[in-house]
Amino acid sequence: MQDFRNRLVIVTVILGIAFLGLVSRLWFLQVLKGDEFEAFSRDNRIRIERVPASRGRILDRYGRELVVNRPSFDVYVLPKDAGDVSALSVNLSRVLNEDPKKIEQKIKQATKKNRFKPVLLAQDINRDQLAYIEARRSSLPGLTIEVNNLRQYPHGVLGASFLGYIGKVSEAELLATPELSNNGLVGKTGVEKTWEGSLRGEDGFIQRVTDALGREVNSNLFLKDLVNRRSVPGNDVVMSVDIDLQKAAEDALGEEFGAIIAVNVRNGEVLALASKPTFDPAEFVKGIDSKAWSKLISDKDFPLVSRATQGLYAPGSVFKMVPSAAAMTEGVIDPDTLVHCPGYYRVGSHVYRCWKRGGHGWMNMREAIVQSCDVYFYRLADKLGIDRMSRYMNFFGFGSPTGIGIEERAGITPSREWKLERFKKPWYKGETIVSGIGQGYVSVTPLQIAMMTAAIANDGTLLTPKLVIKEVAFSGQTRLNILPPRGELPVGKDTLALIRDAMTGVVNGPGGTGHGARIENITVAGKTGTAQVVSLDSQSTDRAHKDHAWFTSFAPAEAPEIAVTVLIEHGGKGGAVAAPIAKKIIETYFHLKKERKANDNV
Amino acid sequence: MIMFDRRLLQSFGWSLFLMTLAFSALSLMNLYSASYQTGLGYFKKQAVWMCIGIFTMIVVSFINNKLIKQYALYTYGFSLLLLLFVLVFGKEVSGSRSWITIGSFATIQPSELAKIPIILAIARFYDNDYEGVPYGFLDLIKPVLLTALPLGLVMFQPDLGTALTMILISGSMILFMGVEKKLIFLVLVVVIGFSYPAWHFFLKPYQKDRIKTFLEPSKDPLDSGYNAIQSQIAVGSGRFMGKGFMSGSQTQLRFIPAQQTDFAFSVLAEEWGFMGGFMALLLYFMIILWILDTASRAKDKFSVLACFGIAAMYFWHVVVNVGMVIGLLPIAGVPLMLLSYGGSSTLTALIGIGIVLGIRMRKFPIQGQAVELR
Repeated sequence: MQDFRNRLVIVTVILGIAFLGLVSRLWFLQVLKGDEFEAFSRDNRIRIERVPASRGRILDRYGRELVVNRPSFDVYVLPKDAGDVSALSVNLSRVLNEDPKKIEQKIKQATKKNRFKPVLLAQDINRDQLAYIEARRSSLPGLTIEVNNLRQYPHGVLGASFLGYIGKVSEAELLATPELSNNGLVGKTGVEKTWEGSLRGEDGFIQRVTDALGREVNSNLFLKDLVNRRSVPGNDVVMSVDIDLQKAAEDALGEEFGAIIAVNVRNGEVLALASKPTFDPAEFVKGIDSKAWSKLISDKDFPLVSRATQGLYAPGSVFKMVPSAAAMTEGVIDPDTLVHCPGYYRVGSHVYRCWKRGGHGWMNMREAIVQSCDVYFYRLADKLGIDRMSRYMNFFGFGSPTGIGIEERAGITPSREWKLERFKKPWYKGETIVSGIGQGYVSVTPLQIAMMTAAIANDGTLLTPKLVIKEVAFSGQTRLNILPPRGELPVGKDTLALIRDAMTGVVNGPGGTGHGARIENITVAGKTGTAQVVSLDSQSTDRAHKDHAWFTSFAPAEAPEIAVTVLIEHGGKGGAVAAPIAKKIIETYFHLKKERKANDNV
Repeated sequence: MIMFDRRLLQSFGWSLFLMTLAFSALSLMNLYSASYQTGLGYFKKQAVWMCIGIFTMIVVSFINNKLIKQYALYTYGFSLLLLLFVLVFGKEVSGSRSWITIGSFATIQPSELAKIPIILAIARFYDNDYEGVPYGFLDLIKPVLLTALPLGLVMFQPDLGTALTMILISGSMILFMGVEKKLIFLVLVVVIGFSYPAWHFFLKPYQKDRIKTFLEPSKDPLDSGYNAIQSQIAVGSGRFMGKGFMSGSQTQLRFIPAQQTDFAFSVLAEEWGFMGGFMALLLYFMIILWILDTASRAKDKFSVLACFGIAAMYFWHVVVNVGMVIGLLPIAGVPLMLLSYGGSSTLTALIGIGIVLGIRMRKFPIQGQAVELR
């Protein structure tokens, strides 16, 4: 028996060691790692339901709704709580009218990625489906219905080019802005994108306790430490656009491709910003499907590109105000000096033609603008040289973004340095000559032309175009969108007065090219432009080779309020095609103004 | 048959008896909480089993151990018959044919009940055979066979957890009685040599998964790793003081798998924290220590080895089960004696204590026995 006792001593030692081993592991889990595991057990039982903030509305300048929300009931499933996925899929397939295998696959795929992230199964279900699901909630573990907001466009496609569209948040956007909801929609272009931070608001959440099968538990035991947060609705954004004028502009464009811009010359507020062709933002509200998306982006007409701010064109003759101002300011020419136009301008062996083959005869500056004499401006450009030309283009706001706050392009103000860098070639004199009539390398957006026109009209202030006047929080608190002007034109007042007078002559004077914009009782001032697309002598009748038609204007000439710029892609002659359209817009503007005044008096 | 001797009561092992009763109460309390959300069915059944078990324990403690030794092989034979019976008529639950249904209320698990008869049979073998020298290969054929017969039948069910504990218990007993060093070495070499083909040819995919999952539970948190992770979350989140009786979120919201049976210790550790877990382990430690103490005082080889076998049974159940619950060992279907729900397991645990109590009572020579012992 004694050797048994000795062995039992060894056994007792082994027992003690094993006991200590178990206890120290218990200490490790419960004391050293206890808080960590407590957090895990919280994550296990607490399900966070997002309460999406309603996105702010977008209103026109008079508070009319351009973009609003409607509720959409979306079905989500939380993989960790889903339990028997195939049974759930069969149950759901009946109400969602979808193949159960498809649903099952969707859930399983998402489960592999992250079982704590809800999977969207169906969006915008109808009332019957909602009622069915609500009634059977207990037999559908892990299922949640989220009320999300979908964008709605009471005016259809009107203003789509600047309102922009929304889409499903991308991984990159999530990384950049972590407070975005991973199921959410986010502004992708236009005002929706630029003002995303104001429109979005702040999502709230509700914490719920669920058991291992994903069913909600209402026992008081685990409810005491739950936290809920209300959502904060996004701010309404009030635009400067007058939707009536916007409609007139888009109607005036009709089936043509082009852009119309109307701005208040005193404060830079954009009253209308039309671009055609355009897209239907309603197609995007649920996140666009890939087929429709690839159709849109592969469309050769580029409906997603706003021609008003992103279209780059040779300005043609609407550009002639720039060399005029430059020449007078630089003292290169006296405006009264007469220049003879024989119908062409010769530099060395090269001949540059005037649009009027027979020539204009003797021209001073005013007449040259009124009749849009090319030879006069060849000569001005020749005398100024490209360096000074280029500088004045920049003064008028070309070659850089206007700061409107939506997608736009800067355009090109060519110079020696620019050409050297871009083409690794020296500057040729002939390139200076054609830039005098807005051809060659010069490229501008219609919005830049409109802002140039406004600067001339308001006696020299280059304004920043303002698309949004203010944002209004849910609490009523208002924040104005203040945009300082881009600068003052370094041009004399008499110079600008002469240019305005000449522009008045374009529309109203003898020999003027813009008679098509003439309105009774209101003096319109303007400038036509016909920008060549291919070559100076193209006789082709192919539409793609037709000239771009420009017209830029302001009114009333004696006390300017509004500047209107029209571009019709491949429209032909500016005076014949674009001027009448500008006339319509100006008429509508004053008509609306009168109507509003009459209503205010009543 | 039963000795109603006054001296028996005087030397009754009250401390072991009371510790066992205390543990049974603790177990019922724990099961109350674990089965509260599912209608207390497990709790009620276990309460009945506990009463039957404690009664049986007391009865067994009064049986003369001479008699127990005498009938050891009969009980062994009977449990072999039960194991055969269950293979033919047993009820299949989740892939294993391990249960015999009695009426509509009770099911018994012959593989659990076979543990004590195996211990007694081996004890009896050594009682006759032991001469104080280490055993060689040929000498061990008999005890190995005594283990291998029921083991084989259990493997057929299949019930790997029970088979594992049988090997551990018998192995402990055989080692305790002494084995030649070169044989131990040889067995180690063979086991290691066979583990490679065993992994590739014999283990079923789910068994391999369990081992892989143990090595890296977070790799597959949904399926086989789920139990291991949820159990450790339950234990860890109990922290030092525990979440309180009936207040463990992992338990009450049923994140812990098999919380009434194999993972009952998770429930205890979650709701009573390190304090509770430590106290339970300490109680097991003391019970085993007390059984070993009884072994050291026993007057015959059969009693020493029977006590040792029962201590080994408790020991391995605690180590394998708690080790699994707290993530030290892979998941294996081994219940925790006394704490887990289960009639057969509870009966086996309490009968074991009963035998020890009986041996304890008779540590002093009793009339007519003293002579025989010499």
